[in-house]
Amino acid sequence: MVQIKKKKERDANIPDAGMSDIVFLLLLFFLVSTTIDVDTGIGLSLPEYIPPEEQEFVPLSKDRLAALNINENGDVLLDGKVIAIPQISENLIPRIESKINLPLKKKLVVSVKTDRKTNYNLYIQALDQIKYAYAEVQKAYAQQAFGKKLSELTPEEEKTVKKEKVPIIISIAEPEKI
Amino acid sequence: MTFNKKRASVKQEIPTSSMPDIIFMLLLFFMVATTLKEVEVYVQYKLPEAVAIEKIENKRLISYIWVGKSGKIQVNDAIVKVEDIKDIMYKKRQELPNVIVSLRIDKESDMGIVNDIQQELRKADARRINYSAMLKQ
Repeated sequence: MVQIKKKKERDANIPDAGMSDIVFLLLLFFLVSTTIDVDTGIGLSLPEYIPPEEQEFVPLSKDRLAALNINENGDVLLDGKVIAIPQISENLIPRIESKINLPLKKKLVVSVKTDRKTNYNLYIQALDQIKYAYAEVQKAYAQQAFGKKLSELTPEEEKTVKKEKVPIIISIAEPEKI
Repeated sequence: MTFNKKRASVKQEIPTSSMPDIIFMLLLFFMVATTLKEVEVYVQYKLPEAVAIEKIENKRLISYIWVGKSGKIQVNDAIVKVEDIKDIMYKKRQELPNVIVSLRIDKESDMGIVNDIQQELRKADARRINYSAMLKQ
């Protein structure tokens, strides 16, 4: 009897011991190059552009308007009175609160006006104070009306708070021509 | 007398065969979360700090304008003049109707340049803006 010897099969394995090393390298690369940075900042909607000749003045009653002026020396005036920047929110909160139940046309308008030479940082600090004041009022109102935190409101309730009761109305004054 | 150390007959090995799988998962996460910087920023700037800041959820909507210490303005990957912003932003707005313009302005800048940029943005009707700021610690 002839014995046919079967050829011994060779192991056809790809060595995969170093696989994890390679993947580790890739992982390290992405770990290092990743920047999970979230863009944060103060949001604002600019008013529509109207050419100077078509601009008209809409009279605003005095109790609706909170006029904030910041001059080039860093002095801050709220309705003509000198004020420190950290005090802006304390001043605005009661005024915003007093108008919660008024219709949209009667809500407080915060107007911010700056000089060309005003420091940008000061402007942001002032804007921050205004935003902070509104956020505080919204928070208080949500707690009082719905008994919830702002983040827990349903979209419907959020709309009532943010659009109807405590809308943020910040007006950026038209820059003056020199 | 000989002492034979008793050894447990059970194999004491941690199975490592699925290690690459786990690392692949990590890798995938970082690959997805990575946004490689597409633009080189030529201007130097330090952002102001604020408390009442909000996050911009949708990164795709954002378009940046940098203003550096020297007062130079950069849009996309080029230094531009104030007057050019209007055209650039107008085009952007046609592609992305609800674009958010993120203003990354050095905190020592003057309001004059900020006002000029805002006027240009208003002319281009790109009115949703965001003053980029860091959270005050």
